[in-house]
Amino acid sequence: METLRQLLVSREISELSRVTHLLDEPEQLAAAVGGVLSSAAARAPHTQLGEALAPAVERAVQRSIQKSPRTLTDILYPVFLPAIRKSIGEKIDQTFQSLNETLRHIFTWHGLKWRFESWRTGASFSEVVLKHSLIYRVEHAFLINRNSGLLIAHVTADNATSEDPQLISSMLSAIQDFVKDSFNEKEQSGLDTIRFGDLRLWSEVGPFATLVAVIRGNPPEDLHEIIRDVLLRIHEECSQALVEFDGDSSQLAGVEAQLQTCVELKQEESNQGFPWLVVALALLLLILAGGWFFLSWQSGQRWQAYVSRLETQPGIIVAEQKIRDGQFYIAGLRDPLGADPQSLLSGTQVDPDRVHSQWQFYQSLEPEFVLKRLTASLAPPVSVRLSIVNDRIVAEGEAPNTWIDRARAAARQLSAGGPLFDISRVRDVSPEVREAEHWQAYVSRLETQPGIIVAEQKIRDGQFYIVGLRDPLGADPQSLLPGTQIDPARVHSQWQFYQSLEPEFVLKRLTALLYPLNSVRLSIVQGRIVAEGEAPDTWIDRARAAARQLSAGGPEFDISKVLDVSPEARAAEHWQYYVSRLEAQPGIIVAQQTERGGDFYISGLRDPLAVDPKALLSGTEVDPARVHSQWQFYQSLDPKFVVKRLTASLTPPKSVQLSIVQGRIVVVGEAPAAWINRAQAAAEQLSADGVVLDVSQLHELNLAELNYLREAIQATDIFFYSGKVVPGPEQLPVLDRLADQIKEFAQNARKSGVTARFMLTGHSDATGRETANASISAARAETVRALLNKRGVAPELLLVRGAGTFEPLVPENSQTGSSTNRRVSITVNLD
Amino acid sequence: MLQKKICMLGGFAVGKTSLVRRFVQSIFSETYLTTVGVKIDKKNVALQDKTVDLILWDLAGEDDIGSFRVSYVRGATGLVLVVDGTRAATLAVALTLRERAEAEFGAMPFVLLINKSDLADRWAISDSEINELRQRGWQIYLTSALSGEHVDDAFRQLALMVTK
Repeated sequence: METLRQLLVSREISELSRVTHLLDEPEQLAAAVGGVLSSAAARAPHTQLGEALAPAVERAVQRSIQKSPRTLTDILYPVFLPAIRKSIGEKIDQTFQSLNETLRHIFTWHGLKWRFESWRTGASFSEVVLKHSLIYRVEHAFLINRNSGLLIAHVTADNATSEDPQLISSMLSAIQDFVKDSFNEKEQSGLDTIRFGDLRLWSEVGPFATLVAVIRGNPPEDLHEIIRDVLLRIHEECSQALVEFDGDSSQLAGVEAQLQTCVELKQEESNQGFPWLVVALALLLLILAGGWFFLSWQSGQRWQAYVSRLETQPGIIVAEQKIRDGQFYIAGLRDPLGADPQSLLSGTQVDPDRVHSQWQFYQSLEPEFVLKRLTASLAPPVSVRLSIVNDRIVAEGEAPNTWIDRARAAARQLSAGGPLFDISRVRDVSPEVREAEHWQAYVSRLETQPGIIVAEQKIRDGQFYIVGLRDPLGADPQSLLPGTQIDPARVHSQWQFYQSLEPEFVLKRLTALLYPLNSVRLSIVQGRIVAEGEAPDTWIDRARAAARQLSAGGPEFDISKVLDVSPEARAAEHWQYYVSRLEAQPGIIVAQQTERGGDFYISGLRDPLAVDPKALLSGTEVDPARVHSQWQFYQSLDPKFVVKRLTASLTPPKSVQLSIVQGRIVVVGEAPAAWINRAQAAAEQLSADGVVLDVSQLHELNLAELNYLREAIQATDIFFYSGKVVPGPEQLPVLDRLADQIKEFAQNARKSGVTARFMLTGHSDATGRETANASISAARAETVRALLNKRGVAPELLLVRGAGTFEPLVPENSQTGSSTNRRVSITVNLD
Repeated sequence: MLQKKICMLGGFAVGKTSLVRRFVQSIFSETYLTTVGVKIDKKNVALQDKTVDLILWDLAGEDDIGSFRVSYVRGATGLVLVVDGTRAATLAVALTLRERAEAEFGAMPFVLLINKSDLADRWAISDSEINELRQRGWQIYLTSALSGEHVDDAFRQLALMVTK
C-alpha cells in the first residue's frame, strides 16, 4: 500500500510536503508571495485593493510622519511647491491691485465719495475702491475634461453669447497644449490667464477637469480663489464621474448648478449713481429763489434811486414812501410847475404799474417856481429879462409903465417868506418916453458939435422943433439924424448961419483965406492959431492983415514963427552957408568976402591939394555965375597936406606907410636905400617949416635876391645892323630872354613893395650925321620898347631915351663905325 | 450629449481639411493649422439609438514625423488616417503617425481614408495593397474631396466604432 501509494502519489506527496514546508516557513512564504505580489496587485480589482490597502497605507503614512515628518515632506515637496507659489503670487497680485486702485482714485471726486462710503459702511477704503473700480461680470463658465479637452458642461450668463462651446473648449485645451509644448513648460497648471481687450479667460486646472471662466471687465484677483473653490467642489462631488468621463456628460448634469454660481459672479456698476435729478432740482430752486431775491433787491434799489431823485427835484416834497408786497407807495406835495413825478419814472426801470402815488399840489416858494409863476402871470415883454440873483428875482430891461405897474402889484402880492421881486432895474419905456429919449440924445449930440449952437428945442404933438445957429463949416444937423431912430419927417429945424469963433473954424477960414504956402504950417496951440515955417514977405504981410481983422473974442493968430524968405534974403543966407563951409575946409583960408548988387565976392588962399572951392558950391543953392573968387595958392603946413604932398613927391613904395601921430608925420616900413635918402632930405626941408617928419622907423629894403637878375638885365644889349632901327632876327631870342627877365624882376620888385622901371637907352655908331644918329638911337630904343611890350612887358615900366653917339661902349673909328655901339642898353631903377 | 475626440492624421497636403470641410461645423479658420498646428471641427453623426458629436482635431499635416505634436492626441477615442492616393509615401506616413499615437496613448479605433480617388490616372496605391490592409480588418474608404463620396460613411463607421 505504502509502496503502491509510493508508486501512485509519491510525486504529489513530495510536492505537498514542499508546499507545506513553503507555507510553514515564513521566510520561504514571504519570498514566494513577494515574487507574485506585484502582478497580483495589478490583477486585483482596483477598488477592492484600494479599500483593502487604505487602512494599512494610512497607518504607514501616519507612522512615517511620527517617525520622521521630513521624509514625507521631501516626497510631497514637488507637489506642494507650485501650489504654494501660485497662491503667494495671487496674493501679491491682489495686494498690488488693491494698492493701484486705491492710489488711482485717492484724490479724485470718486475717491472722496468712496471715502464717505467707507466711513458709512465701515468697510476699508481699499475695499470700497475695488468694489467700485473693478467692474466685471463672469459671462461663461466652461468645465473641460482635462484629458480629451471635451466639454463637460457650459453655463452662460444672461445676454452673453458665444460660438459653439464644444469647439471652444477643445480649442482652449489645444491652445493649452500648444503653449505647454511650445515652451517646454513642465508646470501642471498650464495657461491660467488669457486676456483679450476687455475680455479675460481665467482657467483653473483641477486633477480631471479645467474650469475656464470668461470674464468681461476688471475682476479682482480674489476671484481666482472663488473659481478655484467652485472647481474643488465639483471635483469633490463628482470625482467618480469625472474620472470615468468618456464624452458622455449626462452623468455630470449636477455640475451645471455649481458652474451657475460662478457665472452669477459680477460687480455691476452702481446704477444708483449720483442723484443728478435731485441736485438739478435743488439747483433750480436755488436759482429761482436767488433770482427772486436779486430781482426784489434790485427793484428796491431802483425805487430808492427814484425816491432820492424825487427828493432832489425842486417843487417836490416826498412825505412818505414804502414798499409792500412788491408795490411801491409814495405820497407828498408837488408844485404844478415842478417836474411830473410820473415822467421821472421813465429811465428808472421801476414798473409804473406798481407805483401808487398820492400827490397834493402846493405852491413852492423856491425862487425857480416863483420865477416861473411870475413869468406866467406877468408875461414880461421881450425887452425884460427875469433872473434869479442871490435868491432874489430881478427884472432887468425896459418895459412900458403899464407893465411896470402890474409887476409892482405882483411884487406886493408875493407871499412873505418867498423871494423878493426886484423891479427897480426896469426902465419905463412907453413909446413917447422912448421917442423923447431919442430926441434928447440927438439934441445933446448936436450940442456937442462944434459950430452948432442949439438955441431952442421942444416936442409938441409928436413933432420935434429945433432952432439955433450953425457954422457953414460945421457938420450938417440933418446928416446927424440917421441912426437916432427919429423920424426926419417929424423934425422941424430952423438954423441961422454964423461964424464960429472956435479955433477949428477960425483955422479953417484962415486956411481958406490965406492959401498958406507948403513951407508954412497952421496949427492950434492952446487955443491960439500958430503959423510956422518960411514965407516970402508978401505972404507974411497978408497974414498980418488977416490977424488984425480977426474978431475980438476969437483966437489969436500968431505969425511970428514964420521966417521972411524973400529971394534976396535967401540968397544971402545960402552965401553965408557956403562961406562958412569954405572956412571949415582945411587948406583953404578965406581972407575976404562981400555981397554987393546980388553978386558975391570972395578971396583967400588955397592949397592945391585942398578941395576946389568951386566944387563946394554944388548943393548950396548959390548961383555959381554970381560968385567971383580970387584964390592964391599956398602950401598948407597942415600935416594932412604935408602927407599928401610927400606922397605925391616921394611916391613911397607900397611897403612904406605914412601916418600922422600927434601932429607928427611918421614914416614906417621898408624902402630902397635911394628912397630913404630922399625921404631924409625931405625931412630936413620940412623941419625948417616946423613940420616933423620922422623917418627913424624906415628900414632899407633887402634886394639882394634881385641884384643878380638886375645885373643880368643890365648886361644885356640888343644889337642892330648899320642904319637899321629894327634888330636882326638873331636878336629875337635875346629879346625873348630879356622880356622874361624884366617881367620876373618887375614882379619880384612889386612883391617887395618897390616899383622897378627900366630905362632903354638907344645908341648909334659914330658914322653919319650927329642928328641922324640921335634920332636913330631914340628910334632903336622905341623899337625895343615895342618889341618888349609885344612880349608882355607893361609899357609903363619901360622908359626910353636916345643917347646918340655920346655913350659908346667901345671907342671907334668914325669911318667904319662899330657894330658893338649900335645897340640898346637897359638900366634898372627902383623907386 | 455624447462627444468623442477624434484626431485626423495624415501627411503633408493629403487633403484632410478639404475632405471634411463640407461635412463639418467649424468656427475656426485654417490659419489655426499653421499657427497652433490644430483646427477643431465638429461632426454630428446620428446613429440608430443616439447621436454623437465627433470633435475632430484636424492636426497639421507633416511629412516630417519628428515635428508631429503627439500631445494633441491625448484623450482621443478614435483616429481618421488620411492618405493621398496619388502619393504612395503618404500611406507610410499615415501608418507611422498612427503608430506614434498608439505608442503614446494605446490602441484606438480608426478609419483609413485614401483620398483623391477622382485622380485615377495618377493612382499610386495598388488594389492588392489595399486588399491586404483590409485583410487586417481595417476600415478603408476611397474618398474624394471633389465628390465627397464615402466621407459620411467613414464618419458613421468611426462613430459606431468609438461608441461601441
